[in-house]
Amino acid sequence: MTPEILSAIDVRKRYGQATALQGVTLSVARGELFGLLGPNGAGKTTLLSIVSGLLDADGGQVLLDGKPFRRANLDLRRLVGIGTQDLAVYPDLTARENVYFFGKLYGLGGDILRQRAEELLTAVGLWDRANHRAGTFSGGMKRRLNLAVAVIHSPKLLLLDEPTTGVDPQSRNLIFEIVRKLNAEGMTVIYTSHYMEEVQALCPRIAIMDKGKVIACDTIGNLLKLRPNELRLRVEDVPPGFEEQLRTLAGVTAVQKMPDGVTLTTGSLGPLLPKLATLCATAGVTPTAFETNESTLERVFLHLTGNDLRD
Amino acid sequence: MRPILTLAGKDFRLMLRDPRAGVILLLMPVLLVFILGITVGGAFDPNKKEQLRISVLNLDAGLPPDAGPFPGRPWSEVLLEDFANTADIRVELIPDRQRAEELVRSGERAVVIVLEPEFSSHLQRSSFVGEPLKKNPINPLYRDGIQLSKLGVTVVRDPTQEVAAAVVEQVVQVALMRVVIPWMIGQAFEMIGTPPFMDKMKNYVPSLHLLPGDLLKSIGDAMQKGISGFFVDYDFRGKTWAKLTKSEPPPTKAANTNAYRSDGSGAIRRGAVRYQALVPSYTVTFAFFLVLVMGWLFAAERRHGTIVRLNAAPIARWQLLLGKLIPCFAVSLLQGFGLLIAGWLIFGMPLGTRPELLIPVVICTSLAATGLAMLVAAVAKTEQQVSVNGTLLVMVLAGLSGSLMPRYLMPEEMRALTRVTPHAWSLDAYAQLLTNPDPQTAIVWTACAVLCGFGGIFLLIAWWRMSVEK
Repeated sequence: MTPEILSAIDVRKRYGQATALQGVTLSVARGELFGLLGPNGAGKTTLLSIVSGLLDADGGQVLLDGKPFRRANLDLRRLVGIGTQDLAVYPDLTARENVYFFGKLYGLGGDILRQRAEELLTAVGLWDRANHRAGTFSGGMKRRLNLAVAVIHSPKLLLLDEPTTGVDPQSRNLIFEIVRKLNAEGMTVIYTSHYMEEVQALCPRIAIMDKGKVIACDTIGNLLKLRPNELRLRVEDVPPGFEEQLRTLAGVTAVQKMPDGVTLTTGSLGPLLPKLATLCATAGVTPTAFETNESTLERVFLHLTGNDLRD
Repeated sequence: MRPILTLAGKDFRLMLRDPRAGVILLLMPVLLVFILGITVGGAFDPNKKEQLRISVLNLDAGLPPDAGPFPGRPWSEVLLEDFANTADIRVELIPDRQRAEELVRSGERAVVIVLEPEFSSHLQRSSFVGEPLKKNPINPLYRDGIQLSKLGVTVVRDPTQEVAAAVVEQVVQVALMRVVIPWMIGQAFEMIGTPPFMDKMKNYVPSLHLLPGDLLKSIGDAMQKGISGFFVDYDFRGKTWAKLTKSEPPPTKAANTNAYRSDGSGAIRRGAVRYQALVPSYTVTFAFFLVLVMGWLFAAERRHGTIVRLNAAPIARWQLLLGKLIPCFAVSLLQGFGLLIAGWLIFGMPLGTRPELLIPVVICTSLAATGLAMLVAAVAKTEQQVSVNGTLLVMVLAGLSGSLMPRYLMPEEMRALTRVTPHAWSLDAYAQLLTNPDPQTAIVWTACAVLCGFGGIFLLIAWWRMSVEK
């Protein structure tokens, strides 16, 4: 058994003249909760479509559970569950009927299906509404049912594409809990979202895609280092030699003079603050304001992908 | 097989929960057939000709044993033949008196002519001459024509349809005169010159008593010949109207005599024959409305996003298509058989002499409809597109095929054009089975083969279209 459940090697895909993926390479380990980020049109959905068997790549290779995966391989398709960006349940079927239907499509039946359906509908908080039609559900309930349907067959790899779009905070928290629980039970999850804080909170490792390529793929900690913390010190007048004194402070990696003060770049803000206060006092500098700009995934994301609007 | 049944079961459930399918596929055609049947249904009767219908209940017991050589058959046959051979008249034979009275009472017939059991014997006794030259003679003639009661003819009349009844009665009078008068004239003229006649003449010309028997016979024969020679355009001994007037007998038109066919045995007792055209027309038209139901199912899969799940599931594309196709095909079969049974039960539509052959026709029509439905589902992306394009397609095909109006109303070249539609082939088969008493099975099987061909081609194009889309 390979350590990776999924390996994408130089995967390429075109739609006519448009290039969706231009050589994507990444791997996801078994049991990992992996984040996939990227602006609109970055190629995330195309990559997930290829991994879920909806599309075949034009080039490169996808290994699923260590085996080459193409759309025609029905057995490998069983390993994947998809939580689609758009809801994908039948509004005219009840919650139970939806779960049963997709369970049967994946070969489940009898007591196993009944038991699994009960477990999942209970987990997503819909057991008491199991016999109600999905069309009568709120957006959050539909999202939760969508998740239950995606994992009814206990896939090894769960692809979640924007699973919390348009849901209330309560449903979002429940979805997070379920995703964490499934992951804890051994299910590998690839999670894509535009909500950076969600990904940062859930996923220890993240890939960032842009323009059909993976531009970064690392742990959260390492990614955050790509955009370090900043501390802005506003002063009315910067005395001569003050900048050099700041550069000597432990942890300060850069100092930049601004019209209304200086900006310090540092790996860690906590230990720096007391030392900075002492230096200001001894140098006779009276700061009018301190502003901190902590490193976040969003800053890293914007730093890597730029501020240009995407279609 | 299991995924196919799972898919089919799900679509069945969805269709059952969508009232649109039931309304379009079952309720609308029944409603339209009902309304058109009541309003203009008669125009859809392919056998309908502009003929005056004479409804006759024939109870005639036939000629008495001593009737003599003429006419050699019951007088009722002679009269019915005269009716049938008359242009623009058709005879309908009612089976029994109860039915005759019901038909008149319900207003379905303005009048029924009853030839009573004594009809032949009374007509046989009709004569210009009395006893002793004719035994028990009857003189049926009077000022207005023939006294029907004297001949054993009863007229069962609907008092609310006096005019229609009067027209039929006049036709009956004329026909009876054509039968009775030559018979009476013939008997009378055959008698001229015969010994009984000459004996009677002796009462008026006493000198005849003096003549020997040979001479008396010669005079009698001469009288016969003299009359014939004097009225050269007539044969007074002919006993039939054609012979009396020395004209060609009319061509025999046996087809103008039909047994009564119930046109009201169903729940709606109205014109069952028209439903033999209306029911198949609308069964075929609405069979192809399956394109809407199936198109909506496919479009709904796209709209609800479930098509993504289905495509990602471990099922092959052919399984997916078969899973969609089976419930639609089953619904189409249900619709086809359902409408025929409704036609039979509700409208009293006769199912023809080979009802078992309706089964392959319904199956093949459903196959063609399912194929077209799959094609529309493969092309149309949204429910709106399905509704607009599907309805347009179905109505154009129905119009072209002659489903919406009888094909015999179409110009010749348009009738040929109908063959490009599956509807026309289906209608051909139905027409054979429902309206032809001796259906041409070759036509039925050819139609079935063509319908299967249509279905297969539609399915292949749909499969290709879906592959391209993929």
